[in-house]
Amino acid sequence: MEDIKEYRMEQLVDHIMKWSLWQFNSRAWDRENQNEGILTKTAQILCNEPVLLETPADKYYWAEAMVLARDFKINFPWLSEMEKHEIKQLIKSLKERIDYLTITGSLNEELTAQRY
Amino acid sequence: MPHHLFKCSECIPERKKHAVIKGEGEDLTSCLPLGYLNTIPGTISERGCAFCGAKHVIGTPMKDVIHLCHGPVGCTYDTWQTKRYLSDNDNFQFKYTFATDMKEKDIVFGAEKLLRQSIMEAFEAFPEIKRMSIYQTCASALIGDDINAVVKDIMAEMPEVDIFVCNSPGFAGPSQSGGHHVINIAWVNQKVGTYEPEIKSDYVINYVGEYNIQGDQEVMLDYFQRMGIQVLSTFTGNGSYDDLRGMHRAHLNVLECARSAEYICNELRVRYGTPRMDIDGFGFKPLSESLLKVGYFFGLEEKAQKVIDEEVARWKPELDWYARRLKGVKVCLWPGGSKLWHWANVIHEEMGVEVVSVYTKFGHQGDMEKGIARCGEGALAIDDPNELEGIEAIKKLKPDVIFTGVRPGEVAKKMRVQYLNAHAYHNGPYKGFEGWVRFARDIYNAVYSPIHQLSGLDISKDEISADKGFMTRQMISDVKIDTEEAALSEERPYTGDYDCVTKLRGKEYPLLEKSPSAN
Repeated sequence: MEDIKEYRMEQLVDHIMKWSLWQFNSRAWDRENQNEGILTKTAQILCNEPVLLETPADKYYWAEAMVLARDFKINFPWLSEMEKHEIKQLIKSLKERIDYLTITGSLNEELTAQRY
Repeated sequence: MPHHLFKCSECIPERKKHAVIKGEGEDLTSCLPLGYLNTIPGTISERGCAFCGAKHVIGTPMKDVIHLCHGPVGCTYDTWQTKRYLSDNDNFQFKYTFATDMKEKDIVFGAEKLLRQSIMEAFEAFPEIKRMSIYQTCASALIGDDINAVVKDIMAEMPEVDIFVCNSPGFAGPSQSGGHHVINIAWVNQKVGTYEPEIKSDYVINYVGEYNIQGDQEVMLDYFQRMGIQVLSTFTGNGSYDDLRGMHRAHLNVLECARSAEYICNELRVRYGTPRMDIDGFGFKPLSESLLKVGYFFGLEEKAQKVIDEEVARWKPELDWYARRLKGVKVCLWPGGSKLWHWANVIHEEMGVEVVSVYTKFGHQGDMEKGIARCGEGALAIDDPNELEGIEAIKKLKPDVIFTGVRPGEVAKKMRVQYLNAHAYHNGPYKGFEGWVRFARDIYNAVYSPIHQLSGLDISKDEISADKGFMTRQMISDVKIDTEEAALSEERPYTGDYDCVTKLRGKEYPLLEKSPSAN
């Protein structure tokens, strides 16, 4: 069971790495905001929950999340068979993995530069 | 860490950390070369300088501007017309180049008078142009000429003109990328917010990091305008100086080349709260999703989908014709910066080619992260390669075609490997749905060029058959496809026009929606 979860999560990671750009903004703090903003909204969209759209930044995260959620649904039909709490757990693991690959485990020496 | 030291660089061991091979199970936490560092002494880099990065890449695509280089004439000449950034005002910025033409006596006695004289002469020669960019060079920077003081005086004397100063001499960074940074920040500091543009729509974007190479920008503008979006400015291809002064009024910054222009988007986000949205204008799926997410941002997703459906229906059969014949072709993707990640995955997914190597001349580690993430296992990733390393990689990887610039491209040709110009294109535009088919056509024409049949023969010793003619491209390419299956499909070779850009210039678009409260 854990293997399947891991395998599915890695499929989502691979999809993001191959098709998305938002996870690679140039500074660590920026990547944290991007990963949090977009993947939180992706989980909400996949779970049919309301999404906060108060600021231009919210709208931006939502637009990225809409495309990602749409892609996930098309490419990974097993998502439609999952319960909401399972989807949330999956996206939580996904975010931890993306954070690791792009921030905490990243070898990019420019991530901690103080200015853009 | 799967570092790779080229045999030719064993005498420069520091080079080892600038190349990696993506092995099985490798990810970005174990596989990333160094990047954006000073070139190691002893390695002959293919990079450009920071002056070139500022002027040639970003400054000069602005169309209604006299671009004056304060320095020796060589700095200007060598950054002129080598990249095909077109404009819809008869290519003013492309046809003319301007220099103060500094000589030894100016280095000794100072060149501010010469600069002043050159500015006045240029405005007199082109009285219809009232905007100017002045670019610092190593020579004028080292003698300490105060360009800003000269410009301040002239703008006081001539209130009808506006002048931008770009202080990015050649030594202002490890590569052209240093110049990209300088000019981004200089523009936002000096010019953004000094002009109030006319807002005609509720949906307003700046299109950033787009240089209208062979018409890329005009193709993308067509899509945005069909969606009902006002493109307030383009930074900087086919862009207007005053429009770019009004960038602060857009609702969204749509960013294409993050390598050269993320800085201004980041600053606009901090200073004006305008979100930055990175997009891919290359490839059917990335482009479709890019239009769709811009559509979602404004609530225009249905209009975006309509554009996508029309374009895909028109061009997909033509892409498929080439993709069938390009499957398995080995490619070295060796551009300057952003195209290594724009293209790395999508050319494999949509054309079936195999990317065996990526390199970047001036990219940062962030570009390599994107590129390596999008490559398959076994790909060789190289930062700031020198010519010998390129030759060694070609011998080792045996690619069918290389996407790169003119200088390394000519080296590849001498080794009987075809190359496509990744910077200025062969028969672009390459952006857009039609553009992507044109790119596929160029790859096809390169890989299956009949010249390969002759280029390997030495008429002084090889026997030349006189009773056989050339094999055409299709005779060569179709050997490996299922021709019956292909004949049953709707696939066809490219049917577009030689010039697919000029006709867009007179096109009419639906009236833009604008609510009374829109500012």
